[in-house]
Amino acid sequence: MPVAASAIYFLNLRGDVLINRLYRDDVGGNMVDAFRMHIMQTKELGTCPVRQIGGCSFFYMRISNVYIVIVVSSNANVACAFKFVVEAVALFKSYFGGAFDEDAIRNNFVLIYELLDEIMDFGYPQNLSPEILKLYITQEGVRSPFSSKVPNATLQVTGAVGWRREGLAYKKNEVFLDIVESVNLLMSSKGSVLRCDVTGKILMKCFLSGMPDLKLGLNDKIGLEKESQLKNRPTKRYHGKTIELDDVTFHQCVNLTRFNSEKTVSFVPPDGEFELMKYRITEGVNLPFRVLPTIKELGRTRMEVNVKVKSVFGAKMFALGVVIKIPVPKQTAKTSFQVTSGRAKYNASIDCLVWKIRKFPGQTEPTLSAEIELISTIAEKKSWTRPPIQMEFQVPMFTASGLRVRFLKVWEKSGYNTVEWVRYITKAGSYEVRC
Amino acid sequence: MALSGMRGLSVFISDVRNCQNKEQERLRVDKELGNVRTRFKNEKGLSPYEKKKYVWKMLYIYMLGYDVDFGHMEAVSLISAPKYPEKQVGYIVTACLLNENHDFLRLAINTVRNDIIGRNETFQCLALTLVGNIGGREFAESLAADVQKLLISSSCRPLVRKKAALCLLRLYRKNPDVVNVDGWADRMAQLLDERDLGVLTSSMSLLVALVSNNHEAYWSCLPKCVKTLERLARNQDIPQEYTYYGIPSPWLQVKTMRALQYFPTVEDPNTRRSLFEVLQRILMGTDVVKNVNKNNASHAVLFEALALVMHLDAEKEMMSQCVALLGKFIAVREPNIRYLGLENMTRMLMVTDVQDIIKRHQAQIITSLKDPDISIRRRALDLLYGMCDVSNAKDIVEELLQYLSSADFAMREELSLKAAILAEKFAPDLSWYVDVILQLIDKAGDFVSDDIWFRVVQFVTNNEDLQSYAAAKAREYLNKPAIHETMVKVSAYILGEYGHLLARRPGYSPKELFTIIHEKHPTVSTSTIPILLSSYAKILMHTQPPEPELQNQIWTIFNKYESCIDVEIQQRAAEYFALSRKGASLMDILAEMPKFPERQSALIRKAEDAEVDTAEQSAIKLRAQQQMSTALVVTDQRPPNGMPAQPSIGPLSLVKVPSETVDSQNPGDQGLTHPNGVVYKEDPQPPSQDIIGDLLGTLSIEGPPGAVAQSPQSATYEAEGAPSAADAAALVPVGEESGSVQPIGNINERFYALCLKDSGVLYEDPNIQIGIKAEWRAHQGRLVLFLGNKNTASLGSVQALILPPTHLKMELSLVPETIPPRAQVQCPLEVMNLRPSRDVAVLDFSYKFGPTMVNVKLRLPAVLNKFLQPITVSPEEFFPQWRSLSGPPLKLQEVVRGVRPLPLPEMANLFNTYRLTVCPGLDPNPNNLVASTTFYSETTRAMLCLVRIETDPADRTQLRMTVASGDPTLTFELKEFIKEQLVSIPTAPQRPQGPAAPPPPVAQITAPPPAASQDPGALLAGLL
Repeated sequence: MPVAASAIYFLNLRGDVLINRLYRDDVGGNMVDAFRMHIMQTKELGTCPVRQIGGCSFFYMRISNVYIVIVVSSNANVACAFKFVVEAVALFKSYFGGAFDEDAIRNNFVLIYELLDEIMDFGYPQNLSPEILKLYITQEGVRSPFSSKVPNATLQVTGAVGWRREGLAYKKNEVFLDIVESVNLLMSSKGSVLRCDVTGKILMKCFLSGMPDLKLGLNDKIGLEKESQLKNRPTKRYHGKTIELDDVTFHQCVNLTRFNSEKTVSFVPPDGEFELMKYRITEGVNLPFRVLPTIKELGRTRMEVNVKVKSVFGAKMFALGVVIKIPVPKQTAKTSFQVTSGRAKYNASIDCLVWKIRKFPGQTEPTLSAEIELISTIAEKKSWTRPPIQMEFQVPMFTASGLRVRFLKVWEKSGYNTVEWVRYITKAGSYEVRC
Repeated sequence: MALSGMRGLSVFISDVRNCQNKEQERLRVDKELGNVRTRFKNEKGLSPYEKKKYVWKMLYIYMLGYDVDFGHMEAVSLISAPKYPEKQVGYIVTACLLNENHDFLRLAINTVRNDIIGRNETFQCLALTLVGNIGGREFAESLAADVQKLLISSSCRPLVRKKAALCLLRLYRKNPDVVNVDGWADRMAQLLDERDLGVLTSSMSLLVALVSNNHEAYWSCLPKCVKTLERLARNQDIPQEYTYYGIPSPWLQVKTMRALQYFPTVEDPNTRRSLFEVLQRILMGTDVVKNVNKNNASHAVLFEALALVMHLDAEKEMMSQCVALLGKFIAVREPNIRYLGLENMTRMLMVTDVQDIIKRHQAQIITSLKDPDISIRRRALDLLYGMCDVSNAKDIVEELLQYLSSADFAMREELSLKAAILAEKFAPDLSWYVDVILQLIDKAGDFVSDDIWFRVVQFVTNNEDLQSYAAAKAREYLNKPAIHETMVKVSAYILGEYGHLLARRPGYSPKELFTIIHEKHPTVSTSTIPILLSSYAKILMHTQPPEPELQNQIWTIFNKYESCIDVEIQQRAAEYFALSRKGASLMDILAEMPKFPERQSALIRKAEDAEVDTAEQSAIKLRAQQQMSTALVVTDQRPPNGMPAQPSIGPLSLVKVPSETVDSQNPGDQGLTHPNGVVYKEDPQPPSQDIIGDLLGTLSIEGPPGAVAQSPQSATYEAEGAPSAADAAALVPVGEESGSVQPIGNINERFYALCLKDSGVLYEDPNIQIGIKAEWRAHQGRLVLFLGNKNTASLGSVQALILPPTHLKMELSLVPETIPPRAQVQCPLEVMNLRPSRDVAVLDFSYKFGPTMVNVKLRLPAVLNKFLQPITVSPEEFFPQWRSLSGPPLKLQEVVRGVRPLPLPEMANLFNTYRLTVCPGLDPNPNNLVASTTFYSETTRAMLCLVRIETDPADRTQLRMTVASGDPTLTFELKEFIKEQLVSIPTAPQRPQGPAAPPPPVAQITAPPPAASQDPGALLAGLL
């Protein structure tokens, strides 16, 4: 097992240490000063997450207003270290009830120290599962409902179904399943797609009694083919689109032997929220929006921007929180807008026209036309590089990949009835259109 | 301040200060910049208050380090505001945001000038500060006179005059040629009579700058300076506010003494006496006290006084007083003072006489070598190095050797180099020298450069009585279990050469020597192995009669290395193996090394280089360095012990006889650079063959003289060089058959290239290269001929004669009779254009190289288009002019045929290179070109010329040309000139040809291909 960290530091944006933990003494306590001096206070910040200064490696990432820095002096596994940080943050979030920021850290010093002691030992990552840790690390705010009985803690830690306690009982057995996809797009100014993919994940929330066994069916290609093969009905094909999933990763609860043999996703779910699987799709993506920009430079000091955005999903659906950021030159002085829906304004700190549409129905095409006046500068006129237009949105009940849940079966020996809720949502990842 | 009224600004500043991190700050600043942009763009305009507020914000943002590239217009416009707060911000922001190259400043010049000549002194101060801070050329040109006036005006308050002096100083430093200081000596002298110390200090700064440039003119200021100094030293009439810790204006004292150092000497005995009195007073009155500030001030004065004492060559008594004072300084605990003491002692060293006095402090200086502060150690080392002579060399070198083992790594290389140099220069006996160097290598092998051990080898080789001693020593060192690789090299070399001298002693038999050397073999790197192989070969050679066992051992080694990947090792192994089988002939070839010729020590040269690199630029320091280094060179020529000095030898040339070609080296060829870009590089450490290598290198670049074929056209000699328009293009290399000397490159092409450019090569042959650099201003021009001798022998009977056509007045300065080897001579040539004409001046150039006399006639590129000045005319100017010049002889039209076909843009380019500005858009027909230019000559003065070319898109070989100007001759000449250029191809030689005859296709073939590809000379010229 590789070493992941010699020390971990939590810094605020100014570079003050909020909390830290040294796991090995091969790095000095003042190494974080080197980080502050050589990374935080220079332009290097944010360019490369791994830096080496004075024989030590620094891995850092920023989460809200906190920098988490891992310092290692030996040849560590970088991916492991970052995974550790991500998992640790998820763990803290589940303890703090959602938020992870400077204030949350300041309010939970004791808890964090306790957790840091538990989740890493001499630089080696340990169990980071909130379900398990919550059994024996309990604080004022997070009182374990089962603190009275921890009958088989060792089984929990080592056993076959480590992620689920036995003896759970709910009055109402419910399962929630969300398919969340984010679309990444880069489109040229002429409208041809340069790069496009969708990364999706299936999130679940289970409130089920006992030890239920769940089986999930999707309209993915391999699963369908296998199914028809097994059922010996080669002629009958699934009606509609089949989806080819790339790079599928599962939560540890999914029975991989069963997946390999039958291509079905079956699992005993952990209690509460978890991420069942992640996937990626590169072919056959349904883009929810088309952006048609025309930007004209009229002389040295004027520009005309016309942007038309077309929603190409069903007319009954709608997108929420649509934000379109249209970059303009740095010397923009005055702007005037005309929009057919939503609101637009010029944001000088990001050098963009920001056009916000709260609710965007399908099959419509609102437009924005803006006139921009530029101030003359003494620097010789550099041709403006025209960064791409960026877009943010959320489209509920729409999947860019076309993925659908065909069935979600719950089987438990007591045979209770369950209620299943399925939701789809598509978000923008980096959705960019060159202009 | 004015900020109190501006809420928006203070809110912004407090917002920025409250930002938690850089990113927030950036966001806030960007938002504010957006706001400022919007405000500035507002059509309604801004009230002065608002403008002021936003410009302050811009300045604040700029000071935070963000780019502000707009709003300069607003800042500049505030300068002309009537109220102080607005004017102030205008001046401050302009000074901060703009530099001298910005065009916006032009807008401000007039306002600034009004403020300077105005009556309001606060405005005057603001304006002077701006001018001083920006100090651009344009400012200097238009304002220097006003500033000067302000400085000497009696009606101004001292405050303004102080600023005026500093402003003028700045302008003068920046553009000494623009600020007119002729006849300023009297005014300066007058200024030095000033009672107000503030004005006096500023004027003294100005004087220092003026005197540093030209001290001759300011002799009259010298007594005044001394008087000022006297006044300060006696503390007479010094107001309280100019006394700093009881010292009367130390700044003024220092500046005055600095100014005095620019005068070579003080001749007037009275002045001299009173000056020395003052200096004496300063020397006596200065001591180390508790208060740091007082120390700083008084020491600054003292050290400047010391510099002045050294400069004036004071009598010995005073000098010894100085040294005694410094001795006190270096004994103080305070490191800063000790540092200054050591540094100044080092400076004192170059003044003769005082060495003995300094020697008294030797013990103290050696203690400083152990100081915890590295800068003090360095100074102490420098001082020890400087003060070393025969009498104390042994002590000092031993001290240095001892210190070496504890010294910083950063210092060790320098230390070992210095120790080696001192040991060499002042060695009482040679065996001591060998001891020292071997000890040095042993102690600090990593820091001993190759030069040092090369030097030992040279010494040993050249001194027979030293050889056996050195061999015994080397053997001793080899006995040690772990020794440095450099030591292996030296020992192996010395034992190989001279081991046989000791063969009788026990433990020195060839076999034992071989074993002990070979023991070190596995640990050494590839650069040492060749030396080991050589030494094996030598041992083998000295073993007579051969011992079969040893022979076999050595042969095995040679065999092994015959397939080594390193070429040097492989070659040696193979050759030695072959040689050692030859028996007796081995003796001849591997005989002892001959003595090295006398050379300058590479070590000392290296030390000199290092010193020059770190030279400080202050006047005193510079002089000191020069004296120091010449002193070194002088002593080095003949070291006291009579040892000949020699240069280094490469490690690989150990068995070869050093080549003797170094003697051709002379000071003239160090870094000789030809104006045409041929740079003769001189290797910093010239090993023997370098010069030849260089010479060959350059020649091979230019190609062998005969190899460059003459173009067929150049063979069409003209009977005489009389220039005429029609045959002007033909070559004029006439006269006596110039023997075997053939020009390199096509003279014709070079001439045409030079017609378009202002610098390049005019002529080149194996002996000489003539480059030209020209500057043209209106109807006058200045050409510089660079005559570069390419040979290692000098060229004699050099003659250059100008045959000017009637329309040019030319004056060539004196051309020297001989050009020294590999030297370059510059001959300026003044040209004045009297009338428009296309005739060409000819340079009749001859020289003698050995027995051959070479004479060439070269056309000089002082052609019509050089006197043209491009000018762009607008349609409003063009059309009335065009119409007013109607019909011949002022306006001439001609249909030209046989034009070489050119696309229109290329033709426009061609015109532009001939300084005829093409004005696009004047002619509605896109196939036509309209160009304009101004012609300058003595008779016509500036004359506008207009040209119109109408081309036929169907037939590019013909066009109609109309030329108009206010002078009939000019019109005709210009028309003919353009015609020539259009008809002929400038890069190709021209045949006499009627304008109507289309070029025969054969001519195209005979024309040489574009010169650049095959003619390196032209290539070089093209690179310029």
